[in-house]
Amino acid sequence: MNAVTLRPDVHEQIGQIGSVDIVVGIPSFNNARTIGHVVRAIQAGLAKYFPSHRAVIVNSDGGSSDGTIDVVHKSSLEDFNAILLHHRVEPISKIAFPYAGIPGKGSAFRSIFEIARALDAKACAVVDSDLRSITPEWVELLLKPVLEGGFDYVAPLYHRHKFDGTITNSIVYPLTRALYGKRVRQPIGGDFGFSGELARFYLNQDVWESDVARFGIDIWMTTTAIANGFKVAQSFLGAKIHDAKDPGADLSSMLYQVVSATFELMESHSEVWMPIRGSEPATTFGFEYTVGLEHVNVNTARMLNLFREGLKNLREIWLGILGAGDFREVERLGNLSDNEFCFPIGLWTRVIYDYAIAFHQKKLPAEHLIKSLTPLYLGKTASFILLAQDMEGAEAEAEIEKLCMEFESNKDYLVTSWKQFQ
Amino acid sequence: MMEFLNLILEPLEEVFSKFKVFLPNLVAMLVIMVLGFILARLIKVVLVKFLIAINFDSWSDRMGFTTLMRKGDIWAKPSATLGGIVFWLLVILTLMIGLSALNIPAVDSLVEQFFSYVPRIFSSAMILIVGYVLAGFISQGVLIAAVNSGYHYAKLLAEAIRTLLMVLILAMAMEQLQIAPSIVLAAFSIIFGGIVTALAISFGVGGIDAARRMIEREASEKRGTEAKDEIEHI
Repeated sequence: MNAVTLRPDVHEQIGQIGSVDIVVGIPSFNNARTIGHVVRAIQAGLAKYFPSHRAVIVNSDGGSSDGTIDVVHKSSLEDFNAILLHHRVEPISKIAFPYAGIPGKGSAFRSIFEIARALDAKACAVVDSDLRSITPEWVELLLKPVLEGGFDYVAPLYHRHKFDGTITNSIVYPLTRALYGKRVRQPIGGDFGFSGELARFYLNQDVWESDVARFGIDIWMTTTAIANGFKVAQSFLGAKIHDAKDPGADLSSMLYQVVSATFELMESHSEVWMPIRGSEPATTFGFEYTVGLEHVNVNTARMLNLFREGLKNLREIWLGILGAGDFREVERLGNLSDNEFCFPIGLWTRVIYDYAIAFHQKKLPAEHLIKSLTPLYLGKTASFILLAQDMEGAEAEAEIEKLCMEFESNKDYLVTSWKQFQ
Repeated sequence: MMEFLNLILEPLEEVFSKFKVFLPNLVAMLVIMVLGFILARLIKVVLVKFLIAINFDSWSDRMGFTTLMRKGDIWAKPSATLGGIVFWLLVILTLMIGLSALNIPAVDSLVEQFFSYVPRIFSSAMILIVGYVLAGFISQGVLIAAVNSGYHYAKLLAEAIRTLLMVLILAMAMEQLQIAPSIVLAAFSIIFGGIVTALAISFGVGGIDAARRMIEREASEKRGTEAKDEIEHI
């Protein structure tokens, strides 16, 4: 359970390095275009904010064919004067290797945790390899709360366009907050800081042969940290701009990966979340500032068409999951015109709770169940976009806050229904 | 007179002596059947309790077996129905074992035929059960995927796939039971080939305008969404 196969040359490098204070991990797969910038930003951050700490950058690669590992080896910050640094800096080592095991971000993280344990690291951070907006300050903001603040886990806090991150905003954040009582705004942000102790705790969990190894590692890390009583904080990192995602990426597959991981965690932590009511803010680090964000094109008509197609074709499935009362309300939404379409937050809360209960009851095969949520999710997303199109970012955020409060105030419904099927 | 009496008594003695030889077999058969019947009842009770304990009825609801039973006018619970099926299978099995205890050559050959046929019944039942679940699973997956892709005829597509799969599964089960295999094969080929040909003709000739409209509608919507969302869902 605890062993991960690291290549002999990686073992050799670990032996040569001995021990470090900081490990910064970068999982990657075909990110040759962007990873150089990420490596340089991390080097600058380590040099500027942790000059006397021994540090290593670990690139855990999924078998890239575009020379990602070569780019990591070649990328280095030549001119420390450029970042206004004139004093001595501890050398920063680099380890880049293809990880072993089930292909997926979780397996990449597992190798990073393993190296952090082998090097007896005090603090670790992981950042995405496709980031374009990472700055040296991210390194400080993710690591300092661990090294100097006594925190075990630091989640990211970004400024994003009001229409971006809709799965986070309408499902993962409100649900995680209502379940575990901690207001971690970006539970699946992708860039985290954590203590060496927490890395060892993660490694000891029996999940590395499950779906966590493939997908869902982000929500798993956040939930595991909160549910097991580790000290959790968040750091404001500014804007998150990264390489354009694959345009062919299927929304329903994305939804399945994120939501199934969240629901699976509800199963394993039911004893923790059931008694919790309300929520408390997480300590937030960093200086919040406004970020100029690019315009985002949306096609709400297409979203609403897909919602209506779902209503027409998935009637039996939705009826079985939502029950007659809520299904009638959803049916009523189908008759509204695009302009007057509004998905009530109370109904959306019950939809998510009903899906969680159906997942718990194993009413349908997990993939079918969660993928059947896609048209409802698109209806909810279209409704939010129509509502927030003329709003400022802060007003849109206030709408998300209202949704979170609805999730919290309806939690009794979830707990009661869940207990019936235990 | 004695000769006449001998003529009557000899066959009777012969029948009696044969009956004496046959009697233990008959008793053995009766004992086997009574014990088998009691055992079958016991197994049924235990099985039903076990099925209830593992929520077999809910599983059947989810898999669509309950709906299938209701369509076949069976209104008992799935656990009770399966218990009943197992009970009657055991009773038939007991009957066959009991009959073989009689040691009658004609009955023996009947019993032998029955037992050589049992594996076929079992495997065709398995084909039907697994096939039904699989057909439901696949058609549900197709339905959800088609809806999420914005395909307008999702339900029609899913139902067509389910029907084709069920035809295939029925043909496989009947072939396994060796029920007129050549007729089943021919009927299957005709039905399957017929469906494909009918679709080709109706789409290609009869419904050419409808087909064009459907394809154009799908294509125009796809074109319409080219200028699509740039939102990041995660």
